[in-house]
Amino acid sequence: MTSGPTTSGRTTSGPVAPMRRAGLIALWLAALALLALLVRHELIISNDLRSFMPPPQTADQRLLLDQIGEGPASRLLLLAIHGDQTTTLSRALVTALRGDPRFTQVLNGDTDLSALDPALLPYRYLLSPTLDHATFDAPFLREQLELRLQDLGSPGADLLKPLLPRDPTLELLALAQRWMPARAPELRDGVWVAPSGEALLLVQTRAAGFDPVAQGETIEQLRATFARLPGAQPTQLEISGPGYFGVLVSTRTRSEAEWLSLIGTFGFAMLLLLAYRSAAVVALVALPLASGALAGMAVTALVFHWIHGITLAFGVTLLGVAQEYPIRVFSHRRADASARASLDAVWPLLRLAIASACIAYVAFFASGVTGLQQLAVFTIVGLLVAGIATRWLLPTVMPARFHDVAAAPWLERVRDRLDALPRPRWLPWAVLAAALALLWFAPAPFWQNDLAALTPVPPALLQREGILRDALGAPDVRYLLVLEAPDDQRLLKLSERIEAEVEKWKDLHFVDDVELPSRYLPSLDTQRARQQRLPGRSQLEAALARAQQDLPYQPGLFAPFVEDVDSARTLPPLTPKAFAASALGARLEAMLSTRDGHSLALATLSGVRDGAAIASRAAALSADDGQVSLLDLKGASESLVAGYRARIGRALLVALLLLAGVVALAFRNVRRAWNVIAPMSLATLLVLAVLRADGIALSLFHLVALTLAAGLGLHYALFFEREVPDVAEERRTLHATLVCVLSAVLVFGLLALSSLPVLRAIGLTVALGVAFHFCLSTQMARRRM
Amino acid sequence: MARLARPAPADTAYLEVRFVNLLKQPLVLHGELHYGGPGKLGKRVDEPYHEATTIDDGAVEVRRSGKAVQRFSLERAPELQTLLAAFGALLGGDAATLQKFYDLRAQQSGEYFTLTLTSRPMGGAKSKPVHVVVDGVDNEPGCFSYYPADGDASIMLLGSRAGSALPQPLTRAALESVCHRLAP
Repeated sequence: MTSGPTTSGRTTSGPVAPMRRAGLIALWLAALALLALLVRHELIISNDLRSFMPPPQTADQRLLLDQIGEGPASRLLLLAIHGDQTTTLSRALVTALRGDPRFTQVLNGDTDLSALDPALLPYRYLLSPTLDHATFDAPFLREQLELRLQDLGSPGADLLKPLLPRDPTLELLALAQRWMPARAPELRDGVWVAPSGEALLLVQTRAAGFDPVAQGETIEQLRATFARLPGAQPTQLEISGPGYFGVLVSTRTRSEAEWLSLIGTFGFAMLLLLAYRSAAVVALVALPLASGALAGMAVTALVFHWIHGITLAFGVTLLGVAQEYPIRVFSHRRADASARASLDAVWPLLRLAIASACIAYVAFFASGVTGLQQLAVFTIVGLLVAGIATRWLLPTVMPARFHDVAAAPWLERVRDRLDALPRPRWLPWAVLAAALALLWFAPAPFWQNDLAALTPVPPALLQREGILRDALGAPDVRYLLVLEAPDDQRLLKLSERIEAEVEKWKDLHFVDDVELPSRYLPSLDTQRARQQRLPGRSQLEAALARAQQDLPYQPGLFAPFVEDVDSARTLPPLTPKAFAASALGARLEAMLSTRDGHSLALATLSGVRDGAAIASRAAALSADDGQVSLLDLKGASESLVAGYRARIGRALLVALLLLAGVVALAFRNVRRAWNVIAPMSLATLLVLAVLRADGIALSLFHLVALTLAAGLGLHYALFFEREVPDVAEERRTLHATLVCVLSAVLVFGLLALSSLPVLRAIGLTVALGVAFHFCLSTQMARRRM
Repeated sequence: MARLARPAPADTAYLEVRFVNLLKQPLVLHGELHYGGPGKLGKRVDEPYHEATTIDDGAVEVRRSGKAVQRFSLERAPELQTLLAAFGALLGGDAATLQKFYDLRAQQSGEYFTLTLTSRPMGGAKSKPVHVVVDGVDNEPGCFSYYPADGDASIMLLGSRAGSALPQPLTRAALESVCHRLAP
């Protein structure tokens, strides 16, 4: 770009000696390192989606934010073991994972008789529904004892013998079966297997589903545990589920973004080298932006202490505007003046650009949404510090040797061409009309409310997840049945009341299973009713004696049974709190929560086939004793995102008006302000129109990218509109703008090539925007000499 | 040992007497055993009730008329696993498998033989050994006795012996001597 003879100049008063310059740069870098250290220690980068979202408006949204990613279904990992000896490995993995605090539940289909805490064993008569339709009288016991006799004659006798004296009615087995998922895979060797032979397991993590960091650690641990099992070497552990996908997608997004940024940075450096023929410039150009970003993070850390990862990504994107500041300084450096004097000539305009952008972002602060306020603080501080660093620090460390870019002949040719371009007055209006038409007639849905659609999971993996989820009868991630009652006991009674209706839903194939809280713990009333039906000691002994007549059981064999029944009669019924100490109680406790003094239960559903039918029939179950409703997490999250987007949209509109006002105020000339604001607004509209025409549904990420492009466009228009003393300065303006445009198109154009929609959204929007802003600015803002 | 091998499938009638500590009298069962090849065994109870058990590659299924099928894994019942390994290996003539699970001791006297199997420790040294004793004549096993670690015993008269009258009173010692009388 800088081919041809250029004036090699030495500033009349070299700002600083080389040694001192190196010292200053070292000092600057040291300050940045300190800032980085502060940020590292003080700023918590959150992965909790709740800290990114605005405050909820509706009850469903509130519940969603409570549940997002922490819902039991989204914490499930679906596992399949491929290879030989898979059932043995399945059993070994369960043994290894039980007791690991990272996992709240590990299931492989094995009927786990130890599911009930040994201390709670007598409670089996209060928990099992057996006593709802039977009494422990002589005929019932007789039938049970006859069956047990057959069991003693069967090959499974060795399993039964230890249980028999204490539990002749096999209540423990009945409970274990009640607590198994309703629709489970086929059992082989006592564990779940898929028709294709792999062993299937269901694991619930303690880490929330949305938290890729915690999920990543958990999954790593899971793989390590599996690899340590004897015989695991030749086999393969397949992992699936929302948490795993979160890890996968975030890793993939990061690696692709890093890879593209690396190429982009290299290209940018090459471009700068061509433009300024100085390695020092390439090195220095990053300093103001780095200073701005670190200062922005440091102040955010001091004010808020945390920031969401997405907010930070948005902030860094918006701060991209600051990359132009040093470029302007380097391009406008004149051979016939000192670095400071050269800078003084363009500083008022840069200052206006920085000030107007900062004032515009105040609109974000006023939005009242924490995420947007953080974005505002980060961006405003970042822009100010980058500006200050450019104005007062950069000149002190600039190399003494430089090329005045105005001397490049090719630049004069480009300038001539631009001047020669026709500028019909109707062109902007025609562009406006075309853009509006495109916006109006484009068929695609205007907004993309599904944040997940921006970071999609490969379809093959999703399909596999669907197969595994179906095979395992694992809960659906989209729906939850919400039960609400004044307190826990009334909630359990409500759950008991709707059990029959839920059975009907299963019969009608609306759903495969609903995991109601009363499956694990009946209400106190039900437990008391079952206690009432338990016979007294002497009564039971008499019934047992009659039932045992002519049966060969040893006399007194069932004394432990009589003991358990006797103690069950007087036990205080089990409350969720008392139950919570056991493994199953913990699962129940995870389903229950309180909200505004009310008790709330979230029951998972599996194999949902007709969400609408369940929603309407669930609503019809609400009565005086409590509310029942179906929560569609997808619907609630989309409405929340839509609400958020509306707020960002409003904030942006206010920001644009503020910007226009500041520019008009600074110019004290509406006509000149119009020349700057009009191309910027029209270009923004044009980007929207082109994206729409391309069938792209817009997301938050597009909005942020549009804002960045508009900030860059403001610079182009401002500098083109500037009155300059001579053609050389005009060439410098053109040089600076070309370097800015080309670098932005290069870096963001690369992102536009990404396979990931989120990177494509930002890349395409900024690259298109920069191109449109440049074209329209040359048409509408640029002065002709 | 090879003489005991049977080509699959093979069926044979049995009369089983189980001495269970929990019971004051032994359980007496009649039925038929089925050998379907390596890893596949079946046991049908005809008297005093109807029940069919199939064991296929480690998975056990118990069916009774009018009841849901019970399924469990052999791995949950290590003793049963050891027993079935012995049974299957005997019928299959598989000395290698047999020696994997048991220490073997054979006594031969003319046409009579007694094969005593003592289980090697499985799943930890703590487990008590299980004993299996096979008595027979020529290449025909007549008695298959199983002694689990809990002190119970199951003695099965096979083939033509399944029809024979049981000693009265029916005690473990009496039945054992019936089996041992096969040998000199």
